[in-house]
Amino acid sequence: MREKATTLYIGPQHPGITGNMMVRLKIEGDTIVKATTEVGYLHRAFEKLQEKRNWLQSFTLMCRFCVPETDPMEELYARAVETIEGREVPERAKYIRVMVLELARLASFMLWYGGQNGSLGLYTMGQWSVGDRNYILDLFEELTGGRVYHMYIWPGGVRRDLPKGFEQKVLKTMDYLEKRLDDYDDLMFDNAIFKKRTKGVGIVDKETAIEHGVVGPVLRGCGIRSDIRIDDPYEVYDKLDFIVPTQEGADIWARALVRRQEARQSIRIIRQVIDMMPGGPVYNKIPNPQKWTLPKGDAYVRVESVRGEVGLYAASDGGLNPRRIHVRGAAYVHAITLLEDVLVGENIADVSAIMNSLGTCPPEIER
Amino acid sequence: MKEIKADLISKIKASFDNVTEKDYDGNRLDFHVETRIIPQILTYLKVNLGYIHLSHISCVDWLEDGEFEIVYIVWSPEDKLKVFIKTRIDRETGVLPNIDMIWRQANTYERELKEMFGIEVDGLVAADEFLLEDWEGLPPMRRDFDTEAYADETFWHRPGREDAMDVREAIIERSREEIPDFAKKYSR
Repeated sequence: MREKATTLYIGPQHPGITGNMMVRLKIEGDTIVKATTEVGYLHRAFEKLQEKRNWLQSFTLMCRFCVPETDPMEELYARAVETIEGREVPERAKYIRVMVLELARLASFMLWYGGQNGSLGLYTMGQWSVGDRNYILDLFEELTGGRVYHMYIWPGGVRRDLPKGFEQKVLKTMDYLEKRLDDYDDLMFDNAIFKKRTKGVGIVDKETAIEHGVVGPVLRGCGIRSDIRIDDPYEVYDKLDFIVPTQEGADIWARALVRRQEARQSIRIIRQVIDMMPGGPVYNKIPNPQKWTLPKGDAYVRVESVRGEVGLYAASDGGLNPRRIHVRGAAYVHAITLLEDVLVGENIADVSAIMNSLGTCPPEIER
Repeated sequence: MKEIKADLISKIKASFDNVTEKDYDGNRLDFHVETRIIPQILTYLKVNLGYIHLSHISCVDWLEDGEFEIVYIVWSPEDKLKVFIKTRIDRETGVLPNIDMIWRQANTYERELKEMFGIEVDGLVAADEFLLEDWEGLPPMRRDFDTEAYADETFWHRPGREDAMDVREAIIERSREEIPDFAKKYSR
């Protein structure tokens, strides 16, 4: 006998939702038969505000697009402006940018470890990883003055050079985190509950991935080797040696394994960058910001964040302010049409774990 | 990269009329096309030429020209080339064809274009409210939408903070001193 369908609302305020958004579920028993996402709870009109500000003022909004990953947004904006203007960036600044981007990736991985496990009721991991993330935030604080919002990678290079002895502190933190990742493995990947709750859940196969424009670990989790750092390299990624891990499972477990390996690759990249970093200036000074105009033109640049490809389209009309700034977040693609399709047939208890695994970040959807 | 671009230009021009291209340094190539052939050219790029990834859809409001410029950015993992397909539509009467049968996620972009710029998308699926709720009047991302006037009409200023409406004026009044013109002082 067919069960009567019920409607269940998850969010917009819910501990299992990764921000302010709602998923309206039609359920039969505890199985989802239809899912509809509802967004619009935190639209801040950043892109509109940026049209009213000059090129430097609008930069200060960039890091606020997605709180768990602020530096990729800064780098995108800086590179888009540099592309339109044809501004050269000093070599040392490029290495520092990569180091900061990879530190940001690591910090974001730490949050993901906590979020993914927390969504399954496994709270110890979050206490460990978010605690360890603070060591990275300490480094950011020393380098930029801010723990979460840095405004450090800006047009023309980076805001200031590394403090004395900073590289050694980074290397020491990397040694510590590398050991901790082994502890995380014991706690997470050897945990029977985690295995049982993630294997075969939240399947995104190759065909679905291409049809939906899926990126990042979700794409690599279904066996497609794709990474912006390799495919469309920026800064100095083409000079670095690292691997892009893939898995075939296409489920939450496979995506977790991809992220586990990627965190180790970030440590590997940071060590290389510090080893190869040249001397020299770190900033190609921009003109007076209040008189700074960019030539008419546009650019689209992309960066590999922890959630995958994040892009930025910028257009200039030759004036003091941007004509258009438009961010393409990984979550914009993953958390609306893909999420609605993937949730069908799943259990209501797995909604939060699937959202975490797809890298849902509502502030990035609404901007 | 030069050969890849030349090959692509010749294939596109052989298959479609009224297409102009613009080449850039690096791995970017733009095509300016008529709006009506958008679904055909994107399908051709995806199915025949391996541009399987729709990276972005954006819109620029050229108010002074009375037009919107719609930009579709597709990527080929094989060719490592970013192709921009650009088209212009009239700001008031222009209609955009729907492409969510080519890439499912295009639906999200189209819903946002309709809501934030007021662009009609022919055959738009799930055309219900996306980000805004009960919105009436000019779509907010249009250039002629006055953000400040909207804020003044919609919200109210908290009583007792009248003197803080402009921080600089409040400082001058309280300290009875002229505050320095920072812009002038620090301009290079």
